[in-house]
Amino acid sequence: MTLVIGALTIGLILSVLALGVYISFRIFEFPDITAEGSITLGAAVAAIFLVSGTNPFAATAAAFCAGLAAGSLTGVLHTKFKINGLLSGILVMTALYSVNLHVMGKSNVPLLSATTFGNYAEDAARALGMTAANMRMFGWEVSVRDVSILVAVCGAIVIMGFLLDRFFRTHLGTAMRATGDNPQMIRALGVDVGAMMILGLAVSNGLIAVSGALLAQYQGFADVQMGIGMLVWGLASVIIGEALVGVRSLGLSIVGTIMGSVLFRLLVAMALRWGLDPNDLKLITAVFVFGALVLPSLLSKLRSRKPQVAHA
Amino acid sequence: MLELRQISKTFNPDTINEVRSLREVSLSIEDGSFVTVIGTNGSGKSTLLNAVAGTFFVDSGSIHLGGREVTRWPEHRRASLIGRVFQNPFSGTAPTMSIAENLALAARRGRSRGFGPALGHGWMHELHDRVRVLHMGLESRLANAIGTLSGGERQALTLLMATWLRPEILLLDEHTAALDPKSGDKVIRVSEEIIARDKLTALMVTHSMSQAATLGDRLIMMHRGRIIYDARGAEKVRLRPADLLARFEELRRGEQLDETAADMLKRAYV
Repeated sequence: MTLVIGALTIGLILSVLALGVYISFRIFEFPDITAEGSITLGAAVAAIFLVSGTNPFAATAAAFCAGLAAGSLTGVLHTKFKINGLLSGILVMTALYSVNLHVMGKSNVPLLSATTFGNYAEDAARALGMTAANMRMFGWEVSVRDVSILVAVCGAIVIMGFLLDRFFRTHLGTAMRATGDNPQMIRALGVDVGAMMILGLAVSNGLIAVSGALLAQYQGFADVQMGIGMLVWGLASVIIGEALVGVRSLGLSIVGTIMGSVLFRLLVAMALRWGLDPNDLKLITAVFVFGALVLPSLLSKLRSRKPQVAHA
Repeated sequence: MLELRQISKTFNPDTINEVRSLREVSLSIEDGSFVTVIGTNGSGKSTLLNAVAGTFFVDSGSIHLGGREVTRWPEHRRASLIGRVFQNPFSGTAPTMSIAENLALAARRGRSRGFGPALGHGWMHELHDRVRVLHMGLESRLANAIGTLSGGERQALTLLMATWLRPEILLLDEHTAALDPKSGDKVIRVSEEIIARDKLTALMVTHSMSQAATLGDRLIMMHRGRIIYDARGAEKVRLRPADLLARFEELRRGEQLDETAADMLKRAYV
């Protein structure tokens, strides 16, 4: 049960990353690899603030701002300097590696003695009368701390998902979606497509940095390597989400992305439990995303070939 | 009022593919005038429209619109003064977004876009009434994604979007060329209706002689980056498609003569 709660919590935390990837990959159709640097940036910034005793919420907000800056930089490289989208992301990601080392001062910052959002969640649970260290849930013995963190993260995700949905229904948000959908049209309606893209990538990486900040607080450390493979992870979540709920509406896509991230994490946790070599994890994730990208067109090709065979 | 002063545009200058699309074109269009533009392929008629819209900057000359010089304004800034409908029905609308959302985007053309809800109360009401003008039954499908509509319906909506806020000038770039004749006719009728109702200034490129002859109060014919014929008033009223065809034929013959003459000279002297 502890394993399931852990997987759910990490899945929810990474769903913030997945929402960020959803913005860049699905709304702008821009595979933004800055994600791998900005998730670590978020973790690093939050860790440094937390170690110095800052309030966890302020530290997470600082991480969000750092992510905004990283995303805008990628956007500026792409739109103002006309650098290929993927390359802009690679440049910023590479630069961020050094930045992250400078921010942390070393390659790993432990947070075990710092006050994190987990402590707040635990205090809240205690205030509600759950003073014991463990509680029973569905007949299982679980730690109150783990459950309260899960509930807190879940609440935070619901709020973030709701705000994101609201944002994409404002004048600004609809203009942003239209920018990805049809740049020619939205330019003719007076929107600066470049500025809109910079803003979108900023928000995307801001969310990804928040995900990093939460992850660092949950796992108790920030590490300069923690971003590796995160973009593909986010893509996998988005794709699973689309398989779960379809792409009919924006609200559903947001819910689906969150569900996709949680489900993916649960599957991974199960696979690891059954003896999957953790070293193979990224390989399997990559193969999974490859399959998800290729299968739909492959299937439709097979389907369209059948009638021709019948004619022959 | 639109005024072009000796604008020129050359694409791919100093290369094999150099194309002098506009050669010192001057044109002035009074408020409320509806001008049709015809010309052979590559005559510069679409380039003329794109120069006004700001798709590119002209090499020389200046563009004035509504009393302001907009020559160096980027496209998205000029959009505050210009409504556009493109040739491709897919170009003017965002396919994955709903009809209502597309129109909401158009209702803020050239204005600031903040955190207010795009589909606020009261808005859907206004929407309903204005979409009904198209007589396509779209007012009952406002929540549907634009991608599910036909080309004709999309062009009619694009037209509605371009004119939702009164533009200083409406640019129509062969906006019925990609449609089947029936929906093309319908879109033309709606265009005429809206232009007449709102007394809009409009510039319409077309490949159809009959559209060019029957629509609007002024006609411009372009050839090789220049305006070679400009008919208005009584002269425009008298114009028939046959007259326009005759002019094109004349152009063609003139050019053939040029080429054969050049050939003869070559053979004789080289």
